[in-house]
Amino acid sequence: MEADSVRDPGTMEEKADLEMAENPFEQYIESVRQELENQDPIFIIGIIVALAVVVITFVFLKYFLSSKTVRSAVLLVGLCDAGKTLLFSRLLSGKFKRTQTSITDSSAPYRAKSDRGSTWTLIDLPGHDSLRPQYMEKFKSAARAIVFVVDSAIFQKEVRDVAEFLYFLLTDPVIIRNAPALLLACNKQDITMAKSAKLIQQQLEKELNTLRVTRSAALSSQDGSVGGSVYLGKKGKDFEFSQLPMKVEFLECSARGSKGEEGNADIDSLEKSLAKL
Amino acid sequence: MLDFFTIFSKGGIVLWCFQGAGVTESFTGPVNALIRSVILQERSGNNTFTHEALSLKYKLDNEFELVFVVGFQKILTLTYVDKFIDDVQLHFRDRYKNELEQKGALKLLNNNFEFEDDFKTLLRDAEDSSKARGPVSMRTFTESQKSQKTVKSMIETKGGDKGKEQGGKKNKNAKKEAPLPEPVKEGHGKVSTSEKTVENGNQGLTQDEIMQKKREEFFRKRMAGSAEKTSKSPKPQKPKEKQMRVWDMAGSSTKDLDYSQRNGNGSHDSGNQSQDAQIDSGMQLRPMVGDLLSVDYESSEEEEEIEEEEEKVVITDISKKAPKKGGGFGGMFGMLKGLVGSKSLTQEDMEPVLDKMRDHLIAKNVAADIASQLCDSVAKKLEGKVMGTFTTVASTVKQALQDSLVQILQPKRRVDILRDVLEARSQRRPFVITFCGVNGVGKSTNLAKISFWLIENGFTVLIAACDTFRAGAVEQLRTHQRRLNSLHPPEKHGGRPVVQLYEKGYGKDAAGIAMEAIAYARNQAFDVVLVDTAGRMQDNAPLMTALAKLIAVNMPDLVLFVGEALVGNEAVDQLVKFNQALADHSMSDKPRLIDGIVLTKFDTIDDKVGAAISMTYITGQPIVFVGTGQTYNDLRSLNARAVVSALMKA
Repeated sequence: MEADSVRDPGTMEEKADLEMAENPFEQYIESVRQELENQDPIFIIGIIVALAVVVITFVFLKYFLSSKTVRSAVLLVGLCDAGKTLLFSRLLSGKFKRTQTSITDSSAPYRAKSDRGSTWTLIDLPGHDSLRPQYMEKFKSAARAIVFVVDSAIFQKEVRDVAEFLYFLLTDPVIIRNAPALLLACNKQDITMAKSAKLIQQQLEKELNTLRVTRSAALSSQDGSVGGSVYLGKKGKDFEFSQLPMKVEFLECSARGSKGEEGNADIDSLEKSLAKL
Repeated sequence: MLDFFTIFSKGGIVLWCFQGAGVTESFTGPVNALIRSVILQERSGNNTFTHEALSLKYKLDNEFELVFVVGFQKILTLTYVDKFIDDVQLHFRDRYKNELEQKGALKLLNNNFEFEDDFKTLLRDAEDSSKARGPVSMRTFTESQKSQKTVKSMIETKGGDKGKEQGGKKNKNAKKEAPLPEPVKEGHGKVSTSEKTVENGNQGLTQDEIMQKKREEFFRKRMAGSAEKTSKSPKPQKPKEKQMRVWDMAGSSTKDLDYSQRNGNGSHDSGNQSQDAQIDSGMQLRPMVGDLLSVDYESSEEEEEIEEEEEKVVITDISKKAPKKGGGFGGMFGMLKGLVGSKSLTQEDMEPVLDKMRDHLIAKNVAADIASQLCDSVAKKLEGKVMGTFTTVASTVKQALQDSLVQILQPKRRVDILRDVLEARSQRRPFVITFCGVNGVGKSTNLAKISFWLIENGFTVLIAACDTFRAGAVEQLRTHQRRLNSLHPPEKHGGRPVVQLYEKGYGKDAAGIAMEAIAYARNQAFDVVLVDTAGRMQDNAPLMTALAKLIAVNMPDLVLFVGEALVGNEAVDQLVKFNQALADHSMSDKPRLIDGIVLTKFDTIDDKVGAAISMTYITGQPIVFVGTGQTYNDLRSLNARAVVSALMKA
């Protein structure tokens, strides 16, 4: 008896404890339930709707934000008069169009001619020196691949300008992080004086070799920020494109085509490379 | 009569083009030149552009991102072109609204815009309307003035005549301007009544007579009632003889002007009179006994004029703002309407925002006319553009202005001095940089800083002291040379001093010294030659000629204009006149103009960085260096974004 009574108070205590623990919850729930029942049902519905909207907004935001970081654009970049806009037209519609210097970007969805047939956006950026930096800023994070168009006919005169643009492209932190594929399209091969892709590759490697020394010695800007402290390639060895973290490919093409304006453009190699992306 | 007409998208694809009969050259070149010099340099305020023999007019359509360009020969003056472009634009938009509204370039590529017939009809209409006025038929003799006059009145008499007898033809004269009763000169014919011939006739008269004529016109206009009477009372003709002019400040005799005894050495070689002038002015020592003379009154007059102009500008601004006060409640609705939904921008919407932006830019030390040109260009770029939802007019305009400012500050060509010096070294010739500018901007200081930077990168520098006028200029450069050599001793650089000074003292010809210095550098295999010139005001014609000669003769690789960041509206004047002088005095077709700008004393301005904008806008050349102090390390390059954000900061 006494043992029971001794035990009982234990369980009683436990029970009491449990009840005590439940009681505040229950009391709380009870009080809330009473409150809710006192209120207008519309008010409750209002609260539920607000909560639902908040949840849906979160879902949408996540969807939108994540879609921004999906890189689905192929950029056509290069110096002025390299043939980017004509290449853009040829890739999309196959037609020849007269072009002028672009002032803004043009974009359109492109369907690759491969088995998979993936579609992504082809964006043609203006090449003029004063517009280049701001458009690159806008589009570089969305780049999945970059097609750098080079004018092979007047390449000798423009070597340093091409190399400088390429240098800024390769030392950009966003580009280094994303490492999009780089396709160097040596355009205007229909002109007899055009240099071959191999020659252009060698010249660019030599030029970038010198540039990485002079650019790192360049003056810092007036508010103290130092541009590009990234060293291209490996120190101690001559610069080669194979040292870069991204895939680099050189190919030849001619947007105008060898038969003049009416014929097709020789962009098969370019289309094949684009299909591999 | 048009050479060509193109319609192309801002992305570069030509939608439709028309080439006039008999025109064989492609228009791509001129249109590209138009785009690069006008649209991209934010000069779209005035819509005409001349390129070689062609004159181009253009119109931007900002809603559909199109550009319409028409080109015709410069020598023709076609009056219908402006209206014609507007008509074509409206027509094209209406017809192809559906295709153009699509976002994305596919529609533009795939469509053929068959605009030929419409264009031809519009062109025919425009040409007809301009011809409709027809040639003005000549007046018959009986209608003309000459038949009305008596023969006697047209006989020229010497001595003061009371003009021509008008007889009963007062009403005829009242219709046209009353004839000027000047005594008629030979070869001038009759003093005709129409204004045009008066203007033509003026060219045959001398200054004095033109002034007298204008004075009488002025008097006539003031007293409108008795017009004819007063206009017909000339002063009696004095016998014309030349009278010796007497100057107020002239001396009594010419003996004072004989300096042959005082100035022992007149050692100058051929033709540099500027140096002579400078030395002579130094020798003309007026005794400085007594109180200092006060500053010339000319400068205070100029200041007054400037103040008056500013006041006028302020008054017009206030008068513009006054009518905007009305419509409080309607304004509220308008604001809400503006926030939601697509609304296209009109000139009136942008006007208040642009005015505020213009004042803001001027407050930040941008030159006044450059600020207004910029704002006009931004207005042209935004007119008709459709705003997205939840964007206000102010934010769109501010964004557009910011973009155009960044675009202006971005260099239009590659700026990499070290690479170019390496290139020159491989060609075994020195790289020559010339510094020019007005007095006291910091040429010698920044020259020393740049040579320090070049030495740090392993190049050898020769400084040419072509400032042969200012006392102490050569010594200043010598001090810099000594300091730089002590910082980089010759032992560490292969036994030869890294900096050397080439000087020939004072009073010599600067262009000759520069030429010798470059030859010396080539012989001794120096990498860079830095040529320091004397500071000169842009109005000083002989000094500007001397500078132009120095640059034309020596053909430096880089001509840098040194300007201080504190300068305000003066920057425009300085740069324009410097460029003008360099262009005028060069013998070749392609004159060497200013290639780059060095912006000095940048640490003295906090965020009033407008001088950078003024200078790059005027010349179109990049800012190569920025000087931020007086020690050798205070040399920077320009960061366009930072400058623009400092400029747009409230």
